Amino acid sequence: MKDLWFFLKLFKPHSAWLAGGISLSLLTALASIALLTLSGWFISASAIAGLVAIDGNTLAFNFMLPAAQIRALAISRTLGRYGERVVTHEATFRVLAGIRSWFFRELIPLVPGRLSAMRSGDLLSHMTADIDALDALYLRLLAPAVVAVIGVTAVTVFLAFYAPVIGLATGLMLLIASVWVPWVFNRLGRAGAEEIVVLAANFRIRQLDMIQGLADLIANQAYGRFSDKLGQFSDLMINTQRRNNRLSAISSAFTLLLSQLTLLMALMLAAISFKDGLLSGADSALVVFCVIAAFELVTPLPQAMQMLAKTRKAARRIRQVTEMSPTAPQPNQPLALPGSYDLQLNEVSFRYSDQQGRVLKNISLTIPQGSKVAIVGPSGSGKTTLLQLIMRYYDPEQGSVLLGGQNVRQLDADEFMSCFGVLSQRSQLFAATIKENLLIAKPDASATELDIAVKIAGLEKFIGYLPEGLDTWVGESGVKVSGGEARRIALARLYLKDAPVLILDEPTEGLDSDTERDVFKALVNFAGDKTVVMVTHREAGLGLVDVVYGMERGVLQAF
Amino acid sequence: MQLTETGNQSYFDKNKAREKTCAVWLKAQGKAVRKPILFAAIAGITNGLGVIVQSATLAYILQAVIIDQLPWASLITLFIVLAAVFILRSVCVYLYQIWGFEAGAQVRTSVRQQLFGQFLVLGPAAVKQRQSGELAAVTLEQVDALENYFSRYLPQQMIVGVLPLIMISVVMPVNWVVGLIFLVTGPLVPVFMALVGMGAASANRSQFLAMARMSGYFLDRLQGLSTLKLFGQATQELANIDKIADGFREKTMAVLRIAFLSSAILEFFSAVAVALVAVYVGLGLLGQIYFGPAEHISLSEALFVLLLAPEFFMPLRQLAINYHDRAAALGASDAILTILEQDAEVLEADDNGVGCADEGGASFANDALRTSAAPYGDKINLIDFNKISKSYGKRQVLTDINLHIATGEKIALIGESGAGKTTLLNLLLGFESPTEGRVLLNGQTVNRECAAKAIAWVGQNAYIFHGTIKDNIALADPDAPEQNIIDAAQAAGVAEFSAQLPEGLLTPIGERGYGLSGGQVQRIALARAFLKNADIILLDEPTANLDAANKTLLLDVIDQLFIDKTLIIASHDPEVIHRMDRRIKMQQGRLV
Repeated sequence: MKDLWFFLKLFKPHSAWLAGGISLSLLTALASIALLTLSGWFISASAIAGLVAIDGNTLAFNFMLPAAQIRALAISRTLGRYGERVVTHEATFRVLAGIRSWFFRELIPLVPGRLSAMRSGDLLSHMTADIDALDALYLRLLAPAVVAVIGVTAVTVFLAFYAPVIGLATGLMLLIASVWVPWVFNRLGRAGAEEIVVLAANFRIRQLDMIQGLADLIANQAYGRFSDKLGQFSDLMINTQRRNNRLSAISSAFTLLLSQLTLLMALMLAAISFKDGLLSGADSALVVFCVIAAFELVTPLPQAMQMLAKTRKAARRIRQVTEMSPTAPQPNQPLALPGSYDLQLNEVSFRYSDQQGRVLKNISLTIPQGSKVAIVGPSGSGKTTLLQLIMRYYDPEQGSVLLGGQNVRQLDADEFMSCFGVLSQRSQLFAATIKENLLIAKPDASATELDIAVKIAGLEKFIGYLPEGLDTWVGESGVKVSGGEARRIALARLYLKDAPVLILDEPTEGLDSDTERDVFKALVNFAGDKTVVMVTHREAGLGLVDVVYGMERGVLQAF
Repeated sequence: MQLTETGNQSYFDKNKAREKTCAVWLKAQGKAVRKPILFAAIAGITNGLGVIVQSATLAYILQAVIIDQLPWASLITLFIVLAAVFILRSVCVYLYQIWGFEAGAQVRTSVRQQLFGQFLVLGPAAVKQRQSGELAAVTLEQVDALENYFSRYLPQQMIVGVLPLIMISVVMPVNWVVGLIFLVTGPLVPVFMALVGMGAASANRSQFLAMARMSGYFLDRLQGLSTLKLFGQATQELANIDKIADGFREKTMAVLRIAFLSSAILEFFSAVAVALVAVYVGLGLLGQIYFGPAEHISLSEALFVLLLAPEFFMPLRQLAINYHDRAAALGASDAILTILEQDAEVLEADDNGVGCADEGGASFANDALRTSAAPYGDKINLIDFNKISKSYGKRQVLTDINLHIATGEKIALIGESGAGKTTLLNLLLGFESPTEGRVLLNGQTVNRECAAKAIAWVGQNAYIFHGTIKDNIALADPDAPEQNIIDAAQAAGVAEFSAQLPEGLLTPIGERGYGLSGGQVQRIALARAFLKNADIILLDEPTANLDAANKTLLLDVIDQLFIDKTLIIASHDPEVIHRMDRRIKMQQGRLV
């Protein structure tokens, strides 16, 4: 419940919409009950008055007023229902949009340190499905519950005014139908609803696996096996949904039975009261009709309660992610960037988690501003980890990393990040145009600047081939561009960002020798007086640097 | 970064034919589940009949008590009837929901299977054109969105065709004026609903599109969040996320405002009918109206028609709620059909149309069979590229390639990135088909199945699946003997790093497990190739991400293990090129 309460607090900025929706729901529900109740009373009263009139007495019954009221109720029920639907849904979507951007904002400090280990498919599931599941919180839970509470109270009081016994009995039955039945079915359905969320997330992960790894699956004749497995996952989901559906069917049937029993009871009690002269004929009909209509209030509740479990699970999963602590927390009172960009590592040791061994062992290294350093060593020796510590993706377990003599833990994270330009094995391209992909590095870059960047990165020829030039869309992770072209785009970004420290992590890995030469030529060109820290296991590019260090099993030594 | 909107709204507004295609497809899916739909409808209709009996009994009891003031004893039978109807109705409500679900579940299972089949037909090249998050949303959410159309809408449509007619025919003899009110207001409802519903369907499709695009957009931005952060753009991107979410809300509300209008119209008719009936019979009872059977009306008749008035509209109201389900299903089927109808890269079937199902083909993967029964004898595994050209739209990637490779050749495929090496390999693997010319594998036009049997392929970006390292190595042959897997892991250098992991080869990997470096991923992919007993080996940049010592080690293993195989390596590495017998150089899509 704590998780749901947390999200309810996020609803606050939209409270006007939320309250508006609930008021309209309540108005509609009461108008609907009143319409049937008044009609039943009006007909019965008319029948009795008619009998009296035929007997010859004067007609002492003002029929104009109730007839007009009936028409007014009919109209307000119609308008109310429409307004209620529109307003409650508007409110829900506003709330959901707010939660979405809240979630994204919460994630920002968690990358890349904390979240690199999570599956993107899982994250996607959080972002869309889990957040969408939260719509039930207001639309199907909060709104019907508030309406039911106020409505049931109103009906009970109203009935008690005519016949206290019937009022109490009906109130009791409504209470059972609105609280006990949903509670029981909620208990029964909780496991299934939670299972669905987990199963759907698993299905999505495997589906993403299947699509992204399609080539490997086909080439290894594993597609049939994989799709069969996915089919089994689908069956598992459907089976769980089937169980949930059966529960919800039982609860619908049970609620109907309960309402009918209440009706039977009210009918008998009304008949007895009438016989005893406690209730007039017309009022007996009024009571019966009111009971018939009142159960509309509680019909949505059992299913709402079943949603509760699903919603709660989704809420918990979202919070599990957002409550992770960042690997490199923002300081309380961040200091401004120091004047120089001298980098210094003091006896730095690091491990990713307590269960794993040390990746870096007692490393001390000074990189004065403007110097150019390479670190070479076999794969897995900790080179990339060292770079990540310099950029403060992680904080060291022991020792410290200094920029301009200032511990990087005390610097503002965003400002600190602006010091680094990175070129690595993996060039992240976004599903957007090439131009938009370049503008990430410098949103206000002029057309001339873009042209220069394109030229320097050797992208001219590639872009010349494309009919749409810079406005060509590159697909997910840049599928339509080759690895070399993606790297050149990253190179252009590096130029546009114009950061004082260049971090090069195997910058020409996987490139042909021509491209490799181009990349290094470009790097030499604009490295100028910038600091360069390069990690590589190739000899090419070592001409770019002044000092070379060797790294093996987490230990650094001069070369 | 700016947000690029795609103008699909206009596409849908113009394209009514598309909606029809979707509706036809939905109907076709429904054919297989006629039975559960019919059963659900029967349960619903029986429930409606119960309502009629219940209303009549209730009205009669009230008349008996209030007007006739009959003794209790005479009413007992009626109370028993009432109780029996209650139970019957509850059972019907239960069965309606159960049968409906089955209809939807069967359709969903079958549509998912169709989609899985289609992904295979389309192949990796075509599937990569779409965002994988978008595609995953289709098989999960969009398919689920079909459920209510079959479980609710179709049964309800049947109920609406039957129940109101029964009610009118019951009410007519009791009071023809009220019957007339029903008769006039009833048919108006579907007319209005259709008018309102048409707009709702097309608006709904664009909502689903918006949702799928949003999923794709989020996945893309989440995957790149660390890059965004590096460029200080993460907070700015938040504005785009907000914009997308806002766009999503506006689109959804546009749909719902219309969808709710149709239920408001019904609400209106239903409320007006109750009011009209109440006022008419009330005034009739008072003797204030002389039209129709008003003068002779009894209280029980009056209450009966009043109770039936809201119930008459109940099936229609339910259908209006479910109309939204229909619109949702139409929207989902549009997304599903877009995939199912997408033209595959059609690979020409060989003249005999057999592919690799025949004996000769089957022997590809099996040495013993090959020597004993293969009709092609020793000349097997000849690869032929005959006048191959390939272009993506205006972009020519391969031009007039003629290439012949004999069994056992060791070939280095060289050329700068973008020269067309990967496309050439894709053609050989059957992932793509040439724009012109034919690729022959063992004398037969290549197709994916044959290629997969004959070729072990290690791509540049090998994909690591969610599972253990062992699962990932044994991708081609999950039943491979344990020792073979260990040998393959050893040969490819996987064992070297897996030994340091807590569970060795059984350590779960993929993005969620231990993060692997590029070199480690490549070694796992190589182990896959070692384990697979194929005749042709295609390696795309196998030594990228490896340092000099490891590279030499690996190349020695490759030489040794693939000594009797046909080996094609695409690489820039001089050491690799040096070790091969034959060099094939490509430049701007041509052989040089």
